[in-house]
Amino acid sequence: MRSVQPWRLSLVVALLLAGCGGGDPEVPGSGSPSGAPTAKATFTAVVSFGSSESDVGSYAPATSLAGNGTAPYFGGKFTTNSATGAVWVENIATSLGVLVTPAEVGFAGSSVKCPAAGLGAPNSCTAYAQGGARVTDPNGRGHAGGALTVPIVTQIDNHLARFGSFKSSDLVLLVGGVNDLLDQFETFAATAAQVQAQAAAGEITADQANLLIFAAQSDAQGAMKQAAIELAGYVRTKIIANGGTYVAVVTLLDLASTPAGQSAPAAARVVFSDLSRIFNLWLRDGLTGQPVQIIEAFDIYNAAVAAPAKFGFVDVTVPACDPAKISAITGGRIADGSALFCNSTPGAPYNGMRAGADATTTLFADGVHPTTGGHKYFSNTFMQQLKSFGWI
Amino acid sequence: MKCNLGSLAVGLGAMLMAHAVAAQDNVVKFGLTEYTTHSRTNGISGIGVPPGADAKTGNATTVIFVYERMLTPNIGAEFVLGVPPKIEAKATGTVAFLGNDVLDARIVAPTFFVNYHFGSSGDTWRPYLGAGVNYTKFVRIKSTLADDVKMSDSTGWAVQGGIDYALNKEWSLFASVAALKVKSKVVASGATVLQTSIEFRPIVYSLGVAYHF
Repeated sequence: MRSVQPWRLSLVVALLLAGCGGGDPEVPGSGSPSGAPTAKATFTAVVSFGSSESDVGSYAPATSLAGNGTAPYFGGKFTTNSATGAVWVENIATSLGVLVTPAEVGFAGSSVKCPAAGLGAPNSCTAYAQGGARVTDPNGRGHAGGALTVPIVTQIDNHLARFGSFKSSDLVLLVGGVNDLLDQFETFAATAAQVQAQAAAGEITADQANLLIFAAQSDAQGAMKQAAIELAGYVRTKIIANGGTYVAVVTLLDLASTPAGQSAPAAARVVFSDLSRIFNLWLRDGLTGQPVQIIEAFDIYNAAVAAPAKFGFVDVTVPACDPAKISAITGGRIADGSALFCNSTPGAPYNGMRAGADATTTLFADGVHPTTGGHKYFSNTFMQQLKSFGWI
Repeated sequence: MKCNLGSLAVGLGAMLMAHAVAAQDNVVKFGLTEYTTHSRTNGISGIGVPPGADAKTGNATTVIFVYERMLTPNIGAEFVLGVPPKIEAKATGTVAFLGNDVLDARIVAPTFFVNYHFGSSGDTWRPYLGAGVNYTKFVRIKSTLADDVKMSDSTGWAVQGGIDYALNKEWSLFASVAALKVKSKVVASGATVLQTSIEFRPIVYSLGVAYHF
């Protein structure tokens, strides 16, 4: 009988593992991407897909001072808006010495594609991310209220339609799933509250209540899985297949420690976090073996909330924007204190900041979005990861 | 473990060939078996799984076919194969509300024993003890919690004790009790991915008839 030499066996095992991107092939999401470039690049464009946290001003016309969609605007980004209030995508572009502008600007039915083309920068409008955008569903959050919410799949298609393909000097940044998460969590939380009320009223037994809540949780998980698989598919078939070379996919943030998350009951907060984890598991599974890098962002809010001073924050619990002021500024149209309408310019009549709040030392602008300081924290963290990939 | 099974088979073959054929060297048995499990898991892990979630496997009845080849007057090599019984697992612990049969599979469990038979071939009562190896494969796995469930194969020790009661020169009745080491890693991929390792700790009770030729 032939004996298998241990070193030969371990070589075979090593080759098998290398071939499948590590991890246990029977355990979804345990592998990792492989084959992304490791060399430094001279980037000529930042191409960004995603939703509100990456939106560089798609909905500015909704914040027209004149109220008719024309400039000047007092808001437009989901942060503490000001002349210097940039979102993380812009911060990264500035660091790399490239200009990035919105791919489409508009609200409530009318929009202009690549407004920067009229200003002599037709190649800069590669920021496709729009507030409310979902991965695949064009009917995103706020769509009924006038938000464009072009889904990520169409954002990528729009880039391909305009530029034909991706360039090896594009830095492609993709954050997806936040609005899918918010939709799923809201549905789950509403069902859970209703079921608990029924159980409290004695209409159903505790076991029946548990089963109904379990089913609602499984449905939400299934929807997050589907969104992640779709997103990973778009990365493979639309971005990589069309020349995307420096592709960084940001994992879905845990929103449990945001003011919106903190307002949910503790049991629901666990589900909130788990839905992000489920999304990230299947996203990672779909990107296993693919030549991309994953930017780990799940804990980015949690880390700052756990150790504010370490990242230069003083307030990590109360939103910087004041819903009452924003409601007054918008004539009562916006009651939820959305950062889209929040301006932090000192002394301006349209300043929507809570008294005493600072746009750089407060982490949250509203229930889920970061302030200018929060965006700086995001871009600093992501830049560190881009450095660790060897890209910059 | 495949190497081990292979060498065992080769060794067994050599033993069979080395022994000169004599009268009544072969025994075939047919019996009823109660496959009882006393399972333990390392808990169920996965995103969205509450702490304290667990599962427990149940019992099953099936029929077994046994072939034993006497290598010496007292030592026999035995191969046991049953019609694969369906084992169900129910949810326990903090997820007991999920109920019975959250996971089921049929087990294909060929088992080799080397038995030592006390007494000699003319005795009415002949107790025996055996030790060997069990291989268990899980097939037709279904779960209400996941559409894709994988269970790893198990290879482990097996021991048994039994007794034969001779009715005449050819026919006897037998009863036996066997303990097996059966362990499987479970990965259930649905919306979330559940993982656990189940030790089934089966005790197998069998009763049947044997024909000696």
